[in-house]
Amino acid sequence: MSAVDLARLQFALTTSFHFLFVLLTLGLVTLLVIMQTRFTLTGAPVHERMTRFWGRIYVINYALGIVTGIVMEFQFGLNWSGLATYAGDVFGAPLAMETLIAFFLESTFLGLWIFGWGKLNRWLHLALLYLTALTAYASAFWIMAANGFLQHPVGYRVEGNVLRLDDFSALLSNPTFTSALMHVIFASITVGGVFMTGVAAYHFIKRTPEVDFFRRSLRMGVITTALATPSLIGAGFAQFPVIAEYQPGKSEATSWVGAPLGFMILIGMTLMMVSWLTLPLLIKDTVVRMRFPLYLMVIGIPLPFVAAIFGWMFREIGRQPWLIYGLLRTEDAVSHVDASQILLSLIVFTSLFVLLACVDWALIARAVRRGPDVAPAPVSPLVVTL
Amino acid sequence: METLWLVVLGVLTVGYFALAGFDYGTGLLLPFRKRDETLRLMTPFFLGNEVWLVAAIGVLFAAFPRLEGELLSGAHSVFTLVLAGLVLFMAAVQLRLWWWLVFTGALTVSVGWGLFLAHLLAAPWPTALVMPVLFALHGWVFQTRKWALFPITALLCALPIPLAFSSIDTNGLMAHADTLGLLAWVAIPIIPLVVLLQWSIVAISSR
Repeated sequence: MSAVDLARLQFALTTSFHFLFVLLTLGLVTLLVIMQTRFTLTGAPVHERMTRFWGRIYVINYALGIVTGIVMEFQFGLNWSGLATYAGDVFGAPLAMETLIAFFLESTFLGLWIFGWGKLNRWLHLALLYLTALTAYASAFWIMAANGFLQHPVGYRVEGNVLRLDDFSALLSNPTFTSALMHVIFASITVGGVFMTGVAAYHFIKRTPEVDFFRRSLRMGVITTALATPSLIGAGFAQFPVIAEYQPGKSEATSWVGAPLGFMILIGMTLMMVSWLTLPLLIKDTVVRMRFPLYLMVIGIPLPFVAAIFGWMFREIGRQPWLIYGLLRTEDAVSHVDASQILLSLIVFTSLFVLLACVDWALIARAVRRGPDVAPAPVSPLVVTL
Repeated sequence: METLWLVVLGVLTVGYFALAGFDYGTGLLLPFRKRDETLRLMTPFFLGNEVWLVAAIGVLFAAFPRLEGELLSGAHSVFTLVLAGLVLFMAAVQLRLWWWLVFTGALTVSVGWGLFLAHLLAAPWPTALVMPVLFALHGWVFQTRKWALFPITALLCALPIPLAFSSIDTNGLMAHADTLGLLAWVAIPIIPLVVLLQWSIVAISSR
């Protein structure tokens, strides 16, 4: 394989792994906001215990997600120096906004939330979670703005052989950004809903004594999925006119690029249909007494993750052969580095990320199996051994 | 405007090495100290320390786009080593995986930064050992709470790489004034805010 093929493969693999963490982080933080708000308003212990249990899973996932994110950030400079050289003035702006406004602040607010547990005024503590969620969404906002620019470059002028920033607001009203941002946000919330449903269903299968705790979680998961999926699908279909206008050749970029798109739509439709069918079955816990849907809920956990990766495959492979659509070809942006060096980093990062994904899965599974604490315990693995 | 961004990048880089330096040092000292106690001392600082690197690279990309690519791709394998070490170290510390993984991660990152220093100075590879030694010293000062020495070892960790950088002429490598002006509105208030918030994390957790 050539350097450009290896660099593309590496980017695809590392981004996909990173995005798995991102999806769950965004989805869970949204649900945590609801749980902790209810706790702060009512003071009911069940909401506090829910915040702790789901919060621990969230923090495990966040901790490993950060690590994959750092590799992502370096990768632009390592393998795609042509992108920074040519378009760094424009593309770099939303990327720097992401690191400074979103990520730098997000991790700091989260740190305060973790270490402030039980030590801060509860309204202040709730405010910290809101700020963490807000900056997490800001992260998605800036990354999608940067990606929107690659799909349909706007707000630039050409000066010599580089791009200059001309109109920053054009980057934020870019149609390939706005339509996709909503899609990504609702995809994350769907992941959160499906994940929570599946974990709660697992505990009903195991007949854990925590019936009230997991009944509430199951309801929250199903209702979240039912509410998020119509908007998810709507925001998905809303992108087709945008693609038709700005990237007419997208579905012909390679012969098979339509396949992931088809599977993604199929999964999205299925999740919407199943979640709406489950809604009436929540009455009097019918769905729990039927039992067999519980198994489907557990098996269904990976589905929205898979759909999201398929969605990205369509969006990114469909942009080829361009890195910046119509301006910079992918092959011209790759760094002047030996293929062997890229192969080395490909092997190193891919094996580490596979390992991280397994560790993440194992630790989350362990936290899930242990169930909610009977006695209060620190919320974070940063504080104490799991 | 150009000077401002050199200062911002300098502050972030110095911040990263001065803070994360004692994380790596702590990792390097693990075989010789009480492991649980040693890691517990570092815990409230850890996440805050490491994110300075992310901010520094973000600024490097946006404000110095024509430097970033050359710098990173020019030392491709060195950064592969640094990142592999970071991945192992961060995962192992945050999830308390195994102490020897924390140590291996810290050693890999430190040697990686040392190799980068050697690369910047075009010095022979034994120069790489400078960084692990400095980090270990800084970690020892932090762990034994010799606060009078702390600023000195912090500077010793922070300065080698920014100083080696200063030989690079950034003319023509920086972004256009329009981009720099826009980002200045963000970068200038954020850095003191983050310092304040990270300070609060440490203050709260020691309560």
